[in-house]
Amino acid sequence: MPEKKQSIPIMAGTPNKYTESELVTLLKERQQNAFGYLYDNYSGSLYSVILSIITDRDLASDVLQEVFVKIWRQIETYDATKGRLFTWMMNITRNASIDTLRSKGYQNNQQNRELTDAVYESVGSVSTNTDKIGLRQLVYKLKQEYRVLVELAYFQGYTQEEISKIMDIPLGTVKTRLRSALIQLRELVKP
Amino acid sequence: MDIKEYIQSGVIESYVLGLASAEEVIELEKLSMQYVEVRDAIDAFSQLIMRQLSEDAVVPPAEIKQQLLDKLADEFEQPKTPVLPINNLTAIPGEKTSGKVIKMVSLKAWRNVAAAAILLLLVSAALNFYYYNNYKQSTTKYQALLAERNTLQASNDDYHQTLNIIHDSTMHIVRMPGVPGKQDNMATLYWDTKTKDVYVYANTLQQIPKGKQYQLWALVDGKPVDAGVIANCNGICKMKNIPRAQAFAITLEKEGGSPSPTLTAMYVFGKV
Repeated sequence: MPEKKQSIPIMAGTPNKYTESELVTLLKERQQNAFGYLYDNYSGSLYSVILSIITDRDLASDVLQEVFVKIWRQIETYDATKGRLFTWMMNITRNASIDTLRSKGYQNNQQNRELTDAVYESVGSVSTNTDKIGLRQLVYKLKQEYRVLVELAYFQGYTQEEISKIMDIPLGTVKTRLRSALIQLRELVKP
Repeated sequence: MDIKEYIQSGVIESYVLGLASAEEVIELEKLSMQYVEVRDAIDAFSQLIMRQLSEDAVVPPAEIKQQLLDKLADEFEQPKTPVLPINNLTAIPGEKTSGKVIKMVSLKAWRNVAAAAILLLLVSAALNFYYYNNYKQSTTKYQALLAERNTLQASNDDYHQTLNIIHDSTMHIVRMPGVPGKQDNMATLYWDTKTKDVYVYANTLQQIPKGKQYQLWALVDGKPVDAGVIANCNGICKMKNIPRAQAFAITLEKEGGSPSPTLTAMYVFGKV
């Protein structure tokens, strides 16, 4: 793990580092220490993913809990050959957030939002501005047409087919444009 | 397929962020198994994203962790000692750790132990049942043997007594050969001259049918006197006491004897 501004908290009696495969093994063995380590090291990152989608902090907290329960209970389904543990957790987190976003309860509580900066900034007092959180701050810097695509796909959870219908552009165009958007996004991530 | 082009196409980023379509996922996972460059590319971007998100991490409310631990309390395997990773054996400075690797036995292992214990118990119970059955049978056999021994002991005593009697010098021996027509039969009578006790030994007497019994008679002054029925005795049979007689005879009578002899059914006869 590279040096970061945020320090990983060290719990008394537990080691300061597990490799990913050790952690997965211990989680599968249902060790509480492993769960605690997982929470301590990843809850912050996953919380920021949630917050980039769900503006309401209380609701975001609920989703975070829901996500960690899901991760704990579905750990057997994690396939190390398909990617890293964090990627798997991140996707669980994003999906849970989008499900909550689309749930009836959420829709009833929120007003319809337009995908513009103005709307986000105007409701800053009630909820947290999401555009500085997580990947959103990077997406913010993308070209307009790319930004909308990533917005719809990543933060709103629409499939490429659904986007094609919403924006009335061919599916092939959606596919290639999304890929280009993500290539540019990757460039923004690099230090 | 140009793998380099594929890797640079944006599909890797799409996959990692969970935005790839089902077909794209299938294709990528297939290629990932074939090409290490694809796997490496996936891993590289995953690490980038992880780092990015870690830098912008937002600390969640403090109580969430405890709420989670409480909620999942029943689902934890509780180790009693800290679990150390296998490849990290150096002690953390300032911490009191033994530096040993402690391998915890997981719940799964204990379940196996429990299953083995139950199996052993069942086997043991079955063996117990089997052995108890055997024991019961043995006890029965032993009892039977004891009874047989007692019987044999008794008959042995009888035979001892017989020997004593017939070797007694005060015994008068009366040989009783078979009567004409029944020469195969023979009996021997022992008359104690002092006590007048009579004993009879059936050397060879024809086997008698059911419902019949041999009876001994003493001839006293020409008249037959009942001397008793001959029972199934081991060795010699003790008969009635006869003070005086000139001869003895054995006839076949009905079971229990009869008051007067059936002279046509006489088998052996002997003069004193």
